[in-house]
Amino acid sequence: MSVQAPDRELDRLEGLWADGLSESYRSYLDAVSSYEADAQPKLALAAALIEAGVRLQGLGGRAAPAPTLLMGDLCLARAARLLADAASQAVQVAFARAIEGLSAAAASGNPSRPVRELLLNAFTATA
Amino acid sequence: MISGRLRFESSHATEFVDITKRLREAVQESGLRTGRVHLQSLHTTLGLAINENEPLLLRDFQTLLERLAPGDAGYEHDDFDRRIEISADEPVNGHAHCRQLLLTGFATLLVEDGELVLGRWQSVFAVELDGPRHREVATQMDGDFSIKADERDASREARLVETELMRQLMVDPDPVAAPMRRLMEAGGKRLRPKLVQLTSQIGPRHDPLRAAELAAAVELLHNATLIHDDYVDESTYRRGRPTVAAAEGAERAIAVGDYYFAKATRLIAEIGISGVTSTMAQAIEAICASQIDDVALRGAFPGDHESYLRVVRGKTAALFAAACASGALLSDAPAEVVEALRRYGDLLGVAFQMADDMVDFSPSSGKPMGLDIRQRVLSLPLIYAAEDREVGTEVRDLLSGTLGDKQVDRVVELVTSSAALRRVGDEARGLVDAALRELESVELDGLRPTLVSLARSAVDRES
Repeated sequence: MSVQAPDRELDRLEGLWADGLSESYRSYLDAVSSYEADAQPKLALAAALIEAGVRLQGLGGRAAPAPTLLMGDLCLARAARLLADAASQAVQVAFARAIEGLSAAAASGNPSRPVRELLLNAFTATA
Repeated sequence: MISGRLRFESSHATEFVDITKRLREAVQESGLRTGRVHLQSLHTTLGLAINENEPLLLRDFQTLLERLAPGDAGYEHDDFDRRIEISADEPVNGHAHCRQLLLTGFATLLVEDGELVLGRWQSVFAVELDGPRHREVATQMDGDFSIKADERDASREARLVETELMRQLMVDPDPVAAPMRRLMEAGGKRLRPKLVQLTSQIGPRHDPLRAAELAAAVELLHNATLIHDDYVDESTYRRGRPTVAAAEGAERAIAVGDYYFAKATRLIAEIGISGVTSTMAQAIEAICASQIDDVALRGAFPGDHESYLRVVRGKTAALFAAACASGALLSDAPAEVVEALRRYGDLLGVAFQMADDMVDFSPSSGKPMGLDIRQRVLSLPLIYAAEDREVGTEVRDLLSGTLGDKQVDRVVELVTSSAALRRVGDEARGLVDAALRELESVELDGLRPTLVSLARSAVDRES
């Protein structure tokens, strides 16, 4: 099944859609069905962008080169803006805590649970 | 008693670094009215001197030191075969130690009425004798500290933010908190939190604790972006200390930046005002997008005025504007006031960045000169120098080639000899005037003088 990206939200990040973003977006769409219909695409895309962002940055692994890090930063920033537009305060806080957990583990050199699992749990806990 | 460290990067083997302005600012910030400032060099090849800052005279001093302790005289200290326990990178610097013996490593300056007591022609110098290096001068101030009522209020608000920042860092895991704490403790102007606190007093609902929480979140966010920027720019020092990437590695820097990016967005969300959350989220996105533009434009270094403004509006001004608007939103200020303050912050942010660009050409800033040139960072003085009729061709030629020490020094010389810095200064002051005009129609309840002085001081600075 092909999935359309939400309009305008992939500016500067177009290449990522074919590079796994569309697949993760689709996965998250299934997880946001209990939220308001208008918010669902934005929430799913925010989660998919966080997943793409930390992967691009190399968080928890080898540091990405500067241009790739900046793309990763933009993914996280856009996700934060999408969440500010469409998510409840509880979802925003849960997502931020998930990234805090991931990055604290990375800084400590400890393993972390997969980012998708953390974000799906955040959706479940706040639905 | 207030203790501190004055840190700077020297850029030449022998260099008279004028630290007078930084000392004056430190005295003003401390609130010391009557007393003494004690200075102590923390290096055996860094002296202190009080004398006239006249370029030819400084050359005379340099010549005198060279004559008294020539670099090529042959020093027993440099005979590594006879010395024990020397490190692999031991420098050949017997001459520098001998020259330091001719100077002093200590100085005490008097303070009266909150000002350093210096004669008309007296400047205070840290004298580099074995540079370029990272240097520190220890400072202690003692005497009577008394501050005026409005200063006391501002100081109390500033302390609230510092307390909130420390409180937040205290509960974070050490691998992320320790590098961030070092960065925070190294200084920073805290302009963005000040803007939040000031604008949070404009509307009918003033809650200093909530304002401090938002201000601290904004400062954490700003520092998180700096940590990633330093990795991207390959900077090794910030605020006189090694960057997180240089000290802890790129992987840790990315993780620390991410942690505080996420934490800041959470703290902002927890405040629970959707307008504030949206305003800050838009600013974060603008910052990240313009960072990509900034790096992309380095291929066309030094760029043009239009590209410069586009990048700076995102990279710097977006957070200034968001700080002003979100403070006002927090206080429940009317929409037209929020928008006026947003425009004030935007113009002030651009002016601030222009002033920051000029610091790269200031010998008394405490930062190594020409760093932006080395890193090919977008800089308005360079853009104007490249357009200059007199020096433009040579500047463009130099910038298009490899930039070693010699080339960077020459570019600095060309920029400072041209009209570029004056043009940038005029433009920055013009933007501050425009920012202040945005406030003319706004009821500011006595805050106008503070916002005016903050705007003026953001561009009239050397560090």
